[in-house]
Amino acid sequence: MLNFLFTRLLSALIVMFGVMCMVFFLIHLVPGDPVDMMLGESARLADREAMRVALGLDQPLLVQLQQYFVNLTQFDLGTSLHSRRPISEMLLERLPATLELAIAALVVAVAIAFPLGVIAAIRKDTLWDRGAMSFSLIGMSIPNFWMGPVLILVFSLWLGWFPVSGRDGIGSLVLPAITLGTALAAVLSRMVRSTLLEVLNEDYIRTARAKGLSESSVVLKHGLRNALLPVITLLGLQLGVLLGGAVITETVFSWPGIGKLTIEAILKRDYPVVQACVLLISLAYVFVNVMTDLVYAWVDPRIRTGGKA
Amino acid sequence: MLVSALLSSCAKQPDDAIRFGLSSAPISLDPRFATDAASARLNRLLYHRLVDFDDSSRPIPSLASWEALTPVHYRFSLKENGRQFQNSRFQKNKSLSTADVKATYDYILKSENASPHRASISLIRDIRVVDEDTIDFYLDRPDPLFPGYLVIGILPAEAVQSGRKFDRMSMGSGEFSFLDWPEDGLIRLKRRSDNQIFEFIHVGDATVRVLKLLRGEIDLLQNDLPRELVSYLEKQDGHKVVHRGGSNFTYIGFNTQDPVLKIDGVRQAIAYAINRDEIIKYVMGGKTRKANALLPPDHWAGNPSLQAYEYNPGRARELLSKLGYNVDQPLSITYKTSSDPFRIRIATIIQQQLAEVGIKVDLRSYDWATFYGDIKEGRFQMYSLSWVGIKSPDIFRYVFHSTAVPPAGANRGRYNNSKVDQLIEQAEKGVDQAERAEVYRKLQEELLMTLPYVPLWYEEHFYAAASSIDGYTLAVDGNYDGLIYVHRTQ
Repeated sequence: MLNFLFTRLLSALIVMFGVMCMVFFLIHLVPGDPVDMMLGESARLADREAMRVALGLDQPLLVQLQQYFVNLTQFDLGTSLHSRRPISEMLLERLPATLELAIAALVVAVAIAFPLGVIAAIRKDTLWDRGAMSFSLIGMSIPNFWMGPVLILVFSLWLGWFPVSGRDGIGSLVLPAITLGTALAAVLSRMVRSTLLEVLNEDYIRTARAKGLSESSVVLKHGLRNALLPVITLLGLQLGVLLGGAVITETVFSWPGIGKLTIEAILKRDYPVVQACVLLISLAYVFVNVMTDLVYAWVDPRIRTGGKA
Repeated sequence: MLVSALLSSCAKQPDDAIRFGLSSAPISLDPRFATDAASARLNRLLYHRLVDFDDSSRPIPSLASWEALTPVHYRFSLKENGRQFQNSRFQKNKSLSTADVKATYDYILKSENASPHRASISLIRDIRVVDEDTIDFYLDRPDPLFPGYLVIGILPAEAVQSGRKFDRMSMGSGEFSFLDWPEDGLIRLKRRSDNQIFEFIHVGDATVRVLKLLRGEIDLLQNDLPRELVSYLEKQDGHKVVHRGGSNFTYIGFNTQDPVLKIDGVRQAIAYAINRDEIIKYVMGGKTRKANALLPPDHWAGNPSLQAYEYNPGRARELLSKLGYNVDQPLSITYKTSSDPFRIRIATIIQQQLAEVGIKVDLRSYDWATFYGDIKEGRFQMYSLSWVGIKSPDIFRYVFHSTAVPPAGANRGRYNNSKVDQLIEQAEKGVDQAERAEVYRKLQEELLMTLPYVPLWYEEHFYAAASSIDGYTLAVDGNYDGLIYVHRTQ
C-alpha cells in the first residue's frame, strides 16, 4: 500500500509540474501586456521599461519560470502585479468562501440526487422514473447564469427569504448552493439510478429478497451501499471542480471565491495570480484524485497489487 | 407561514449605513498605485489632492493654490482647509504639510517603486519644501498644463518613509475616513463631517445589482447598467433615476495606414453612414450627447461650433461609388471591439448601418487585454473605444501627434498630419489659456475634417437610488464626490 501511495504521489507531483509549466507559457503567449493594462498608452517607453524591471517581467521567460519554482519551494506565491498584495493572502481570503460554497453545493446535490436516483431505479419505467429523469434533464440543461437570477427574483425579491447576493451569513449561501448543486444533482441522480439498477439485478439481491428481507432493507442496505462506489468517485471529481471555483455562480451572487479571482486575473493578465490560482485548482484536483485512488485501492485489493490478488 | 418567517430571518436586517453598489471592485486604496476607476473614485473621497478640476476641466486649487514663477518653476501654497489626516492607531491629530506632499511625489517619481502614475509627472526635476505651507516644483521642460497633473492623493510622510502599506487601508485627509475592508467586494468608509457610514459593495452582475437595489440591499448605484435595466428602474415605485451629460468620449478609430482606410472618401462615407440619432434614441435612451470632438464643447478648450457629419446614406453611397464600391461590389472592412455586451450591441447596429450603404463589416470582439494589445500594435482596420476621464488637452499630443505612435503614445491609427502636429506644438507653446484654447479649437476642426476618428457621443452618467436617498449629485467625470452631501430622508 505504501508503495502504491508513493507512486501515486510522485505521479501527482509530475502532473502538477506539467500543469504549472504549461499554464506559465500559455498565459505569456496570450496577447496583452500587464504593463499596458496598468500604465495605459500615455506612459513613456522608459517608464514602461522601469515597471517591467520592477516587476521582473524583463527577464527571459525561462528565468522567470525558474524563479517562480524557486519561490514555490519557499511557499512564496509572489505578489499581484495589480494590487501589489501577497497572493497567499489573497488566496487565503478567498478559500473559505470557495470551500463553503463547494461543500454546500455538494450537500444540495446529494440531498436531491440520492432520493431521485433511488426512486427512479426502484420505480423503473413508471411515471416516477420519467419524472425524476426529466427533472435531471432540466437540471442539466438550465445554465447557472439564468437559474441564479430566477432564484433571486423568486426567493429574494418576491418572497424576501434570502439576500440577493453577497456573503453575509448562512442565508446568503442558500441560493448559490442551490444554483450550483442542482446541475450536479442532475448528473448524480442519473448515475445513482443506473448503478443501482445494475446492482439490483445481481444474484445477492435475489438472495436477500429470497431470505424475506423487506424491500427497503434490500434496496438501501444491500443495493445502494454496493452502488455507491462509482457515485462517490463522481462526487470526488465534482468536488475538485467546485474547489476550482464556479465562476458564473460566484459572479451572479457576488460570491468572493477563487473562480472569480482566477477570471479577473486572466482578464488583467496578472500572471502571478493566474499561476497561483491554477496551482491551487490543480492541487485540489490532484488531491481529490489521489484520495479517490487510495479509497479504491483500499476497497479493491486488485488495484493496489496490479490485478494479482 | 412559519417557514417563510424563519427564512426571512436569514436575510440580515438593514442598518443605518448607506450602501453603494459598485460594478467593479476597487483594487487598491493606495493613491500611488491605484489606476482602476473604482479605486480612483474611492481614493478621491479618502485623500485630498493639490489640484482639482471645475466642470470645464480647468485646473482649480484643491489643497493648494499655485503660481508659475517661471515656465519651469511652480510654487504651491497649501490652504487651511482639508489638512487634517485621519486619526488612526498609527497617528493622532496630524496635519498635512508640504513634507507630506514632497514625500508622496518623491515616492512616485522613484522608478524602482514602479508607480503607474510616474509617467504623468515625470517632467518634475526637483521638489523643494520652502516652509510648512509652501512647496516648489521644478520641471525639465515648460508645460503650462502642469498643475493639472498634481491630482494624486497626499499621504503622511512618516508612513511613506516607514514603508507602510496603504493598499488595504487609508490614512488620508479626505472627506471620508477608512473603517475596514473585511472581504473583497466590501469596503466601509465613514463621512468625517457627521460619522455617516457608507458601505461600498461590489456586485458584478448588472441584473443582480438592480435586484439588490429593489430589495433594499443597496441604496444607490451609478452607471454601468444596460439601457433596458435603466428603463425598468425608471418605472419602479420607490426609486428614482437621475441623468447627467458626461464627458467620456466614444469614437470609431481607423488605421490610417491601411490601403483602404487611408482614403479620405472611405472614412467620410463611414461617418455619413452612421445614424447616431437612431442609436442614441433606441439604444441609449435618448439622453446621450452627440460628439464632434474628443473634448466636449463645454471644456475650456472645446469647440462648440464644429459642423457635425450628419446621417446621410445617399452621400455615403455617392462617395463610395466614386471609389468604385457599391452594393454589388461592397467594400469589406474588419471592425474590432471589446467583449462587453453593450459595445457588441452597438457595433452590431453600426455593422448593419454600414451594410445599408454597401460596406460589408466583419465584426470581431475580443477580451479587453487582447483587444487593447491589437489596437496598440496597429492590428486593425477599424475599432471603437472610449476615452474616459479626459481633463487636459495634452491628450491631443498622445493621440494624434505623428510621433505618438505606440509605445510612445496613443496614436493607434498611425495618423500623420503635419498641420495637426504643428497646431499641437503651437498650442503647447501658448502663453495664456485663451490663446491655447483658440489653437485647440482649430486643431479640432482639422481633426473633424480629416477624420482619424469618427466621433460618436459623450457617454451620459446616471444614478439610481431609493427615494429615501437625497442630496446626491452626478459629476461630469463620474466621480463619487456627490456622497459628501448625500443623506437618507426617512
